Amino acid sequence: MPFTAKSGKFNAKINAVEVGTGDKKITIGGENVLPFYTFDDAIANAPKVGIEITDGGLDNEPDCIKKYYEGCTSVVDMAKKAASFEGVDFLSIRLEGGDPNGQNKSTEELIALLKEVAEAVDLPLAVCGCKNVEKDAELLDKASQALEGRNAMIMAAKEDNYKTIGASAGLAYKQIVGAESAVDINLAKQLNVLLTQLGVNGQSVVMNVGTATAGYGFEYVVSTMDRVKAAALSQSDATLQMPIVTPVASEVWAVKESVASEADMPEWGDQEERGIDMEIETAAAVLVSGSNAVILRHPESVKAISKMIKELV
Amino acid sequence: MTLFDVVFSGNDTVYGLTENAINDAIAQYGEDKAIAFPDTAYSLPCYYGVTGTKVGNLGELKAALGVVKTLMTREKRLNDVFMSGVATALCAEFIEVLKYMDGAAPYEAPCYGHLGDAIIRELGVPLVTGDIPGVAVILGAAPTPEEGVALVKSYQAQGILVTLVGDIIDQCAQMGYKTGANVRVIPLGKDVTSVIHVVSVAVRAALIFGNIKPGDAAGLMEYTFKRVPAFVNALGKLNPVVVACGAGAIALGFPVVTNDVETAAAVNIKVPKSLIVQPDVEKFNATSLEARDIKIKITKIDIPVAFASAFEGEIIRRGDMQIEFDGSRVDCFELVHMKEATEIEDHKIEVIGPDIDEFPVGSKQSIAYIVEVAGKSMQSDFEPVFERKFHSYLNCVEGMMHTGQRDMIRIRVSKDTFNAGFRLKHLGEVLYARVKSEFAAVVDKCQVTIYTNAEECTKLRHEVAIPAFDKRDERLNTLTDESVDVYYSCIMCQAFSPSHVCVVTPERLGLCGAVSWLDAKATNELDPQGPCQIITKEKVIDERIGEYEDVNEAVRKFSQGALDDVSLYSIIEKPMTSCGCFECICGIEPLSNGVCIANREYAGMTPIGMTFPELASMTGGGVQTPGFMGHGKHFIASKKFMKAEGGIERIVWMPKDLKEQVKDRLNATAKELYGIDNFTDMIGDETVAEDPETLLAFLQEKNHPALSMEPMM
Repeated sequence: MPFTAKSGKFNAKINAVEVGTGDKKITIGGENVLPFYTFDDAIANAPKVGIEITDGGLDNEPDCIKKYYEGCTSVVDMAKKAASFEGVDFLSIRLEGGDPNGQNKSTEELIALLKEVAEAVDLPLAVCGCKNVEKDAELLDKASQALEGRNAMIMAAKEDNYKTIGASAGLAYKQIVGAESAVDINLAKQLNVLLTQLGVNGQSVVMNVGTATAGYGFEYVVSTMDRVKAAALSQSDATLQMPIVTPVASEVWAVKESVASEADMPEWGDQEERGIDMEIETAAAVLVSGSNAVILRHPESVKAISKMIKELV
Repeated sequence: MTLFDVVFSGNDTVYGLTENAINDAIAQYGEDKAIAFPDTAYSLPCYYGVTGTKVGNLGELKAALGVVKTLMTREKRLNDVFMSGVATALCAEFIEVLKYMDGAAPYEAPCYGHLGDAIIRELGVPLVTGDIPGVAVILGAAPTPEEGVALVKSYQAQGILVTLVGDIIDQCAQMGYKTGANVRVIPLGKDVTSVIHVVSVAVRAALIFGNIKPGDAAGLMEYTFKRVPAFVNALGKLNPVVVACGAGAIALGFPVVTNDVETAAAVNIKVPKSLIVQPDVEKFNATSLEARDIKIKITKIDIPVAFASAFEGEIIRRGDMQIEFDGSRVDCFELVHMKEATEIEDHKIEVIGPDIDEFPVGSKQSIAYIVEVAGKSMQSDFEPVFERKFHSYLNCVEGMMHTGQRDMIRIRVSKDTFNAGFRLKHLGEVLYARVKSEFAAVVDKCQVTIYTNAEECTKLRHEVAIPAFDKRDERLNTLTDESVDVYYSCIMCQAFSPSHVCVVTPERLGLCGAVSWLDAKATNELDPQGPCQIITKEKVIDERIGEYEDVNEAVRKFSQGALDDVSLYSIIEKPMTSCGCFECICGIEPLSNGVCIANREYAGMTPIGMTFPELASMTGGGVQTPGFMGHGKHFIASKKFMKAEGGIERIVWMPKDLKEQVKDRLNATAKELYGIDNFTDMIGDETVAEDPETLLAFLQEKNHPALSMEPMM
C-alpha cells in the first residue's frame, strides 16, 4: 500500500500580531501548523528575532558583547548600532535599572531614555520592565504612554499588575500587551482571559509563557510551550492562540555557564563561544517548541538564529 | 408635582436656554462658525458617544439640538424620564461648548471646566485597576462648609476621585481646602451645566477603555453602568434642572443621593437603588458606596506591630507571654456568621469585657470573637472557609500565636507585642482587614465583636457557637454527591502534573486533603477564572462507578485532551488520576482480595510489597493506573470510597497511626453500611503484618468481610 502523507495543518491558527509601524513593521504568529512544520502548510510568518539592550548601556554588557558596540557612548548609540546588526527584526530595551532592589532609577529618568531610544530607531520596539511587579506597573504604564503610536510590545503584564499594564498598554495607548506567566499553561490561559475581560483585544496580546536557560529545568518550558500550541491549534482554544515571545537573553546571560570567565573555568573553554552557544541552544529550543519570536543579546546569536529560521521556513 | 412633571419641566427649561443660546450665537457668528472643546479627539464627547455624530460648527449644533428634541418624549413612563435626563445632559454639553467659542478659556482657577483626553487616559488606568475605586460628583451646597469639606475629605481618604459643581466649590475655598487634579478633588464649575464635564469623562472612558463604538448608546450606558463607578451627591434644595440632570445620571447608571427630604417627598420620588434620600450628610459616604457597590481596598492593617507570613511559625513561650486565651481550659471560640447587610456596620470593631491590660500578666482567660459578614454573593457555606483562615491571619501578627479552631482555640500574646500597644481591638482589625481584602469578591461588609467576660463567653459558646458548629456539621453530613447539582474541578497542581484533574465532590475531597467541595465552591466564587471550575453532572453514564458524560467532557477539557474518561467511585475502572500530592495511596492486595492504604507519613513496608514512595511513583503524574488510587485521608470513611468495588469493606490494611486518625468515622460508616462494629479492629497494620501471608492469616482470624467478597479482578 502506498504511503499517503496526511497534512497536519489545523483549522485553528495562532493570532497574527503586527508590531511596530511603517516599513519595518513585523508580523508575529499567524501559522496553522506546529513549529517549523512547513511540510504540513506554509508558515504564515517566520519567527522573529529581537536584540536586547538595557538602560545600563555598555557597562551592563558582558565583555564579549562590548566589542560589538565599540564607539558607542550612550544607550541611544547602542540602540542605533543594535538596529544595524544582521538578522535583527526588532529592538528590545530592558529597563532593569528601575528595580527598587537594584539601582532603583526613577521612572522619569528611564522614560526619558526610552523616548530618546525610540526616536533614534525606526525598528519595532519591545519594552521590558525590571521584574518588580509594583515598579513595572508604574514604569510600563508610562512607557505605554511615551510610545503612543509606535505599536510597541509592552513586556509584560503579570497576574499581579495586569490591570494597570493591560489598561494602559492595551486600552489607553493601544500598544501590544505582553502577558507573562511562569511556565504553567493554566496561568498563561488565566492571564489571557483576565486581560480580555478587562477589555483588551485578544488580537493585541502576545505571551511570554516563561523560560529558562537550556539545562535549567528547561523541560518544563518545552512541555508548557508544547501544550499551549497543542491547545491553541488542535483544540482551537482562542484563549491560548496568542503568539509567544520569549525573552531568552535575560535568562541566558545570567547563568554561570555563559558568564564565568575562562580564567575561573578553564575546562569550560572560551567564554564568548560558550555564551553564544548557550544563547543559540536556548533560542533554537524555544523556537522549535513554539515561540514566535525570541529576544537575544549577542549579535552572533542573532545572526545564527536568524539564519536558522531562514533555512527552515 | 410628580417626578415626571419635575424632570420634564427641568428638561424644558434647559432645552429652552440651549435653543436661545445657539440661536443667539448663530445670529452673531453665522452657522459656519467652528465650535470645539479643547484637547479632545471626541468632538462633543457626550453627543458623539450617544449618536456617533461629530459636531464641528454652529449649524451642526443646531441640527444636533433637533436630534436631542426627539429624545424628549412626554409619556409618563420611567424611560421618558431617563431619556429627558439624557437630553438635559446633552443640552448642558451644548451650552458648555458655546463657552469655548474662539478658543476662549471660560473657566479660571480653581475650576477646570472641560477635561482633556490626556487627563482621561491618565485617570482611566487607575479607574480600570480600581486604584481609584469610584468617582463622586458633589453638587450644590452642604448645610455648612464644615460638613461639605468633611464629605469631600471622606471620599479623598478612600482614594475616590471627587468632582465638585456649584456652591460646594466656594465652601471648600472658604475653608481653605486644597483642590486640584493632583489631589484628586476637581472643581468643575459653578453652573450646574458644568456637571457635563464629568459625564464627558465617563463617556470618553467608555470610548477609550471600553472600545464602545460612538453611536452605540446602549453599549455606552451598559459600560458606564458596569465599569464607571460614579455616583452623584446632590446637596441642598433640588430644583427641576438638577432633578432632570439627576435623571440623566441615573440613565448612565449613576445613583443620586440627596438630602432634600422635602422635595423628594413632595414629588413622591421612588427609583429604588438609584435615587436615595439620606437626610444626614455625614452618612452620604456610606450610603453612596453601598448604592454604587464600591469596595474600598484595604492595603494596610492598622496595628502597632508587624504583620507578615514570616511570623507564622513563631512560638511564644510561657515566660514571654502577656496573656493566654485557652479554649481547652475555659470557654473560648471563634466564629464567622453571615448576616443581612443592614444588620452590619462595616468596620465596627467592638470589645466587650476587659482588655489585655486589665488582666494579670501571664493569666489564662476566656475569649470569643464573632466576625459578622454580609455581601450580595456571600453564602453561609463560606463561613467555615473564612474561619479556617483565622489561624493563619492571627499567626502572621508579630508576637501572637494561635492554634486550633472553632471552640478549641488557644491564643498567646507576647509581652513585647503588648508593650508595643497591641490590644484586643487590633485582633479585630487584623480579622477585619484580612477578611475584607482576601474575600473582597463576596464580603461587602464586616464587623467584629470580641468578648472577654468569662460568663459571657460561656453563655455565647453554648447558645451561639456550638449550635452553629453543629448545624455546619449536620450540613456536611447531609452533603452527599447526590444532594448537589454540581461538582468542581481542581487543577491547582497542573504546574507539575500537567494532565491531572481532580474532580471534587462532597463525598470525595481533593486527593491532597486540602480542597473539600465547599473549599472548591468558595474558590470558584472568589476567583471565577481560577483552578476550580464548575462541572455539571447531568448526564449519567454509569451510576455504579460514578461516570458522567459531562464530567468526562470537563476532564478532557481541563487535561487538554490527555484524559478521556474517569470514574468517581472505582479504583479499577477508569480511576481518577493523581498529581503527586496525595495524602494517601490505596492499592490492591490480591491475596486477601482487598486494598491496603498507606499515608505519606508512613515510612515502612506495606503488604503490597511497596513503600509509600514506591507506590507514589506508580500512582502519580496524572496517569490512570487501575488498581491504584491517590486520595485524601478524609475520603477513607466516605460511603463513596471505591464504592464500585464494594466500598470500605475492602480495606484490609493501613498504618496504625492512620487507623487511629480515621477510626471513629470509619467505624461509624462500617456500622451504617454493613452493620459491622469496630471495623478498624479487623484491619491489619504494621504491627500485625508487613507481608501478605501474615496479613491473610490475621484477616482469617478476624473474619474480615473482604475474604468472602467477589474477586476484585
